[in-house]
Amino acid sequence: MVSLEQSRDCRIQKGKNVGMQETPSEQLTQALINVATHADKKAYAYLFSYFAPKIKRFGIKQFGSEAMAMELVQDTMTSVWRKAKLYHPEKGAATTWVYTIMRNASFDALRKIKSNREDNLSEEIWPLFHDEQVCEKSFKDHLQSNQLKEKIKSLPAPQRDVVVGVYFEDMTQEQLAQHLGIPVGTVKSRLRLALKKLKVELGEQHD
Amino acid sequence: MIKYHPSKQLMQKHILGELPAGLSVAIAAHIELCDKCSNEFELLEVQQASATFDAPCEEKESFEFESMIDDITKLSMYDQLVSQEPEVFEYQDKRVQLPRAIAALKLGSFMNAGKVSRARFELDEGPLRSSLLHIKPGGEIPEHTHTGFELTLLLDGTFEDESGQYVPGDFIMLDGRHNHSPRTKDGCLCFTLVDNALHFNKGLSKLLNPIGKLIY
Repeated sequence: MVSLEQSRDCRIQKGKNVGMQETPSEQLTQALINVATHADKKAYAYLFSYFAPKIKRFGIKQFGSEAMAMELVQDTMTSVWRKAKLYHPEKGAATTWVYTIMRNASFDALRKIKSNREDNLSEEIWPLFHDEQVCEKSFKDHLQSNQLKEKIKSLPAPQRDVVVGVYFEDMTQEQLAQHLGIPVGTVKSRLRLALKKLKVELGEQHD
Repeated sequence: MIKYHPSKQLMQKHILGELPAGLSVAIAAHIELCDKCSNEFELLEVQQASATFDAPCEEKESFEFESMIDDITKLSMYDQLVSQEPEVFEYQDKRVQLPRAIAALKLGSFMNAGKVSRARFELDEGPLRSSLLHIKPGGEIPEHTHTGFELTLLLDGTFEDESGQYVPGDFIMLDGRHNHSPRTKDGCLCFTLVDNALHFNKGLSKLLNPIGKLIY
């Protein structure tokens, strides 16, 4: 067990010099906020130029393959763009947030190689978001019926992801397939199953 | 109070995302139950993030990066989150809220041998088997050692062995050097991860192979 004392020294702090170069921690965090609020492409390009080569270096170490390292860059940086609005600066530096996304993508990729499973478990093991309230609110905005909300929540996770992606995040089935790393056919069949289940459940209650 | 925690070495590999899924699920579940390890995890992750990103990189932007930026910024952004309801697991008339990482896994059906019931998680990790195990009050598992290792994360109830009593959240990692015969007075629920067949030590227990196979 490491003592708290030891680890605290290594936390990213404003102006902390790590010996080689000063981490532009504040600029990175600000850039991420600009991406979130204005879909600012310049700010994104700055984040990209800072993180991408380092993600690639991490990927080469993890996979020993340049092609897979580039895939990791692609996966991670896509999530950074798409999830930017869900970043909360008060919960940590941009570097830690990007690290979490990268490590999760790397874990899912390793799992795909080792077990041939595309279950994207990383988000359950290292959730990016702990803030249940944010979630609650978005549901209230969109769903009049608490009942439907409960039903959707009780769907098996793969079906729930598809329903939420299509109906609450306005993703196309193709985008969703790409995001979840599953074939479009699977998205369609999961959606069909989920809707069937919801209809049965709600129908039963209304009878 | 939780007395058994993942080692620092395991925690660091967990933060790098290098462990098998079953092991990382168990560590994540322990972190959810243990404030001390939750704080330590956060500190170590910040530390690992800066180790990964602070060091300058020789390679500059490549041609591929340019087109990647263009493609990515054409994608739409998410602005909603879905809330996650904690999953409740029922066993022996008890209701237990499962840690998020465990609740997310697909569970096979339960098999029983005496007071012991086991269902396997469908993780497809070869010789590594992750299971949910519950033992009825008064149940025990015959004395055994391990050729590989056995990890037990106690989720509910208590059990005891030669080393003492365990409480929910305890992360108990045993390897070939340990003999033990766990028993539970009031019943318990555990996440277990075993990487090789258990070896039963005592004469009669050798006849209890069904339990050996069951809990492996």
